[in-house]
Amino acid sequence: MTARSGSVSRRLDRLRDDFDRSFAEPARSHDEEHLELLTIRAGGRPYAIKLSQSSGVHPDRPVTPLPGPQPALLGLAGFAGAVVPVYDLAALLDHPVAEVPRWLVLAAGTPPLGLAFHELDGHVRAAVSDIIRETGQDGEDGGHGRGGTLRGLVDLPGGSRPIIDIPAARALVHALAGHAQATDEENAP
Amino acid sequence: MMAERTFGTKLAAGFGLTLALTLLMTATSVLTLRYVMHSKDNVITSARVNLVGSEELNGHMESRIADYRAYLLTASDEYLRATEQDRTAFLAVAGELRESMTDTTSRELLDAVIAAEEKHAALLAPVMEQRSRINDLRNVAQFSGNQELKAARIALQRALGALIDRQSVVVDSRRDESSSRATMASAFIIVIGAVLILGSAAVAWKLSRDLRREVGAAVGHIQSSSAQLEAAAAQQASGGRDQASAMNEITTTISELLITSRQIADSAQRVSKIAEETAEAARTGDATVEQTRTSIAAIRTQVDQIVQHMLALGEKSQQIGGVADLVSELAEQTNILAINATIEASGAGEWGRRFAVVAEEIRKLADRTAGSAKEIRALIEDVRGAVNTTVMATEIGAKAVDSGSRQFDDATSSFRRIAGLVSTTSDATREIELSTKQQTTAVEQVNIAASDTARVTRETEASAVQTKQTAAHLSTLSSELLDLVGTGRH
Repeated sequence: MTARSGSVSRRLDRLRDDFDRSFAEPARSHDEEHLELLTIRAGGRPYAIKLSQSSGVHPDRPVTPLPGPQPALLGLAGFAGAVVPVYDLAALLDHPVAEVPRWLVLAAGTPPLGLAFHELDGHVRAAVSDIIRETGQDGEDGGHGRGGTLRGLVDLPGGSRPIIDIPAARALVHALAGHAQATDEENAP
Repeated sequence: MMAERTFGTKLAAGFGLTLALTLLMTATSVLTLRYVMHSKDNVITSARVNLVGSEELNGHMESRIADYRAYLLTASDEYLRATEQDRTAFLAVAGELRESMTDTTSRELLDAVIAAEEKHAALLAPVMEQRSRINDLRNVAQFSGNQELKAARIALQRALGALIDRQSVVVDSRRDESSSRATMASAFIIVIGAVLILGSAAVAWKLSRDLRREVGAAVGHIQSSSAQLEAAAAQQASGGRDQASAMNEITTTISELLITSRQIADSAQRVSKIAEETAEAARTGDATVEQTRTSIAAIRTQVDQIVQHMLALGEKSQQIGGVADLVSELAEQTNILAINATIEASGAGEWGRRFAVVAEEIRKLADRTAGSAKEIRALIEDVRGAVNTTVMATEIGAKAVDSGSRQFDDATSSFRRIAGLVSTTSDATREIELSTKQQTTAVEQVNIAASDTARVTRETEASAVQTKQTAAHLSTLSSELLDLVGTGRH
């Protein structure tokens, strides 16, 4: 117990030092060298979402079910006076599970779209150098997954994670809803 | 009838019959003798009274004649008184004779005498009166009536003579009659004696025959019985020898049994002593058992308290877990707010970027808080697990204590039962010891009795030998007795 309490006191000291140092250091700013990422789990699989492509994260929001032919459409949720359709991210990524997702991420841009996932692992700042195959200019990896929703991987301490491209997901939803043609459906695995 | 009676009865009956005949003969002889004696008495009485009386009567008459003649000569008063006395005596004897005479003829003769005497007295009185008046007597012719007196005197003397003769005849006839009766009595006695001799001879013959027959048969039986007795005595003697040897073996075996019995008694005594010590140890152990029971009860109470404290600890841990969950929830919400703040800040230019830095710090703190809360949660889970494990272990321990307590109760009851059984065993061992001692005493007595029996058996053997000799002697005596009785049949 003394060793453990000693380690706790050391951690407490270090925490206090870090906190104090954050005020002592000069003000930093977001630079281009880093990328803000949300690490999530949808349908039991790890993914990453660019924070810049989202407009908010919310847990435990009530979702009103909406009858329809789309299994991925969970229903409608209200956000700041607007009604937002919520789609199951795991179903969109073709590995649906029965469990109801707890978390919602609001996609940036219009029309508003909510993507539901099961677990939020955290918020990480990844170096740009850790992102591999950021874009699909070479044509081979321009997008994979259903509708090209997955674009690139990020190396993180917990392992590599595919990055979900929110606009591609929006396009997929639109394609499913009949707003636009899904151009690359045959490319889906 | 006689054959059914014993020989003693027969003998008594024979002697009784002989005795009765003897008594009959004696009585008959006495009666006959009395009869003869009475006859002779009559004869003697007749002779003595009547004949002598007649002679006396004659004597008195002669005396009177002499006296009155003397008076006539002397005229003395002396002869006068003598004459009167003689007449008085004469009349008295005549009276007596009249009483005693039974013969008719004699009575008539006596009456004639008395009448002649009265006539003579009547004639004498005047003569004597004449003499009193005559003083000088010169001749008897002076008396008147002298001739008549003389005739009367002669008649009287003749009558007296006839009476005396008659009495002699009567005495002779009675004597002859008595003699003939005595002869008849003798003949009667001879007849009775002959009957007696014949009866006695018959009884003797009968007794002799029965004696020969019955005593002979009995002696024959005695002889055969003696032979059987001799054989039996010989068998008894050999059996006695066998029995004596068997009794010796029995005595030896009983001696060994006695030794074994004493060893058993010693062993039982040792067992009894050990049982006493065991009972004492059991009593000591009983106190120890009570102390142990108290200790077990105290352990049970302590274990219950431990369980209660452990459950309270688990409850507190649960509460801490709840607080940690609250902290975790707050950290999560802070994290979300920080993320959303970062998102909002990213679209707000330079100020937004500076705000994003703060939000980053907040998010880091929230992450650390969440990590610490998770750590606390894990620690609490560890504590809860440990508490649960401890409670389970303690429950198992409590159950083990309960089971141990029950088993200890069982052991205690078993121990007490053992103590009771040890006590019972001690009692039983004492009884065994006592019984074995009694048995030893009994075996000793049996040994003595067996020795006595062996001695008695030897004596019996000797007695049987003696019996055999006696039986042989008896057999010889029986033969001799048969010879004596006169029956050589057996």
